[in-house]
Amino acid sequence: MSSNRIRIFAIILLLGTLATLPFWASRYMVSILLLICLYMTLASMWNLLAGYSGLISLGQQMFIGIGGYSLAVLCMYHGLPIFLSLLLAGMISVLLAVLISVPIFRMKGVYFAIGTWIIAEALGICFSNWGYVRYGMGLFIQPAYKLSISTIYYSALVICIGSIALIYFLLRSNLGLALMAIRDDDTASEAMGVNIFRCKFTCFLLSAFITGVTAGVLYLNTIFIQPFEAFGIGWTVKLLFIVIIGGLGTVAGPIVGAAIFVILQQYLSEYVGFNLIIFGTITILVIFFAPKGIVGTFQAKLGLEIFPVRRG
Amino acid sequence: MLASLEPLINGILLGGLYAVIGIGLSMIFGIMRQVNLAHGELMILASYLSLVFIQLLGLHPLLTFLFVLPAIFILGYLIQTFLFNRVLEKGMEPYLMISFGLSIILQNAMLLLFTPDARTLQTSLAIKSINVFNLFYVPVIYLVDFVGGFLVLGLLHLIMKKTYLGWAIRAASDNLTAAKLMGINPKKVYALAMGIAVITAAISGVLVGMTFTFYPHSGTQYLIIAFGVVIIGGLGSLPGTFLGGLILGVSQLVGGRIIGPGLQLLSGYIILLIVLTIRPQGLLGRK
Repeated sequence: MSSNRIRIFAIILLLGTLATLPFWASRYMVSILLLICLYMTLASMWNLLAGYSGLISLGQQMFIGIGGYSLAVLCMYHGLPIFLSLLLAGMISVLLAVLISVPIFRMKGVYFAIGTWIIAEALGICFSNWGYVRYGMGLFIQPAYKLSISTIYYSALVICIGSIALIYFLLRSNLGLALMAIRDDDTASEAMGVNIFRCKFTCFLLSAFITGVTAGVLYLNTIFIQPFEAFGIGWTVKLLFIVIIGGLGTVAGPIVGAAIFVILQQYLSEYVGFNLIIFGTITILVIFFAPKGIVGTFQAKLGLEIFPVRRG
Repeated sequence: MLASLEPLINGILLGGLYAVIGIGLSMIFGIMRQVNLAHGELMILASYLSLVFIQLLGLHPLLTFLFVLPAIFILGYLIQTFLFNRVLEKGMEPYLMISFGLSIILQNAMLLLFTPDARTLQTSLAIKSINVFNLFYVPVIYLVDFVGGFLVLGLLHLIMKKTYLGWAIRAASDNLTAAKLMGINPKKVYALAMGIAVITAAISGVLVGMTFTFYPHSGTQYLIIAFGVVIIGGLGSLPGTFLGGLILGVSQLVGGRIIGPGLQLLSGYIILLIVLTIRPQGLLGRK
């Protein structure tokens, strides 16, 4: 009981610190935590697919690109309010997910990974040949200029906490139980009446929505969006790194991984060119020596879970 | 009317090159049931190695094979021995992610060593073309690509069918337990197979370098072409790979002619997605 009380106390303390951050911390620190929140959300969504639903997607950048471009076009060309544009960016990502789900869910394993990647690449080519979004030159999202960094920070924080809470409750719900049953033995779970397609499809749509909205906030922060960057495989590299280091298939994994990634990126930014080599090397070493990642290894050693998703 | 044959014929010729790009990926999948995402980077690495030898020794690009192929074979052997063999039994994900990590490392190492500038392996062949009945032109280099592709695929077929190594590779992929009982060391066989697969990648890399310009990040684009070839043809099938190369080459050039050269890659991707949707196991692949 007391460990539970400590946990609640720690969570309240952490939330309080994060909520008041812009009032006492430096602008630099706020921007770092903003990035951590965004990467944490994106990585959690990749983890929901790869770690819990067995869908290894190499094409998450398609939702990042679509989300970012939807936001840019809606709030700049059509003058919609920014927060409405964010919501619509998520909806458009879901629409894309529904459209591609027909072919993509026929593909299994490696084919799914490749199929998602090809769709993202194809979208990148489409956007770089589309005059409406100024071809490959990219767009400056002008309405974002007048936003303060604390507004963007709070949007990121809300999305981040919201999506982690959502994943936590989702995994404790019947859907989560079904997902774990599928992960452990898909034939047996199907025989017990689990609808595998519906479970995976739900996760896919949810991940598309939150990734789209988060990408919107991300580009409010970056201000500039360009097709080959937005639809580039570099996003998946980052998300993969975060989730593998933190721990695939754990709720806390992406949180730890994102914090490490953003801080490492700050330190390595002086060594342009070397940083991705270092990230790649660390990923391979972690797979060899600690395949469960930091969180997974600690949980196995200490026998406790930070976010216990198995119901007692 | 006949001039519209030009993209078709050039597409077929280019398809021979695409088949070599895909064959290594297909081979590894057929033998180990794994996908090497660093395939494109190993290919482009060979293009850069060839460039280094051209600049050092003033050789013709095709003669640099003498140095590039042994070097890349050793690299492939070592990669399989020290990286991939360690995670073979752990399913699909670790292999996929390790090869992905390797591709990122190679790509950025090439960026550091060779700068992001566009490069090409210059030959006099690249600018010559043959006039066909005064109707259209066929670049000579495309013919070289096609013949090269045909030779590589034929040679690979002979190696797999006639040599002891080929038997061992096929034995290990058909029935691992029986192969072990016959005294085959699967990890060594896999390492040799990876060496051969990266040799095919290296050959395609040099041919690509002679035909097009390349950059340190070109590997991604060719990895997707390789996927395209093996997905259309079916992973692990040799005649399918050849057919896949032709279909992808033709669809890119014909599509490029119809919807504009900027969208040339796109038309290939669309054909690929259609094939994946209708026959997820490829046109000639088995379930």
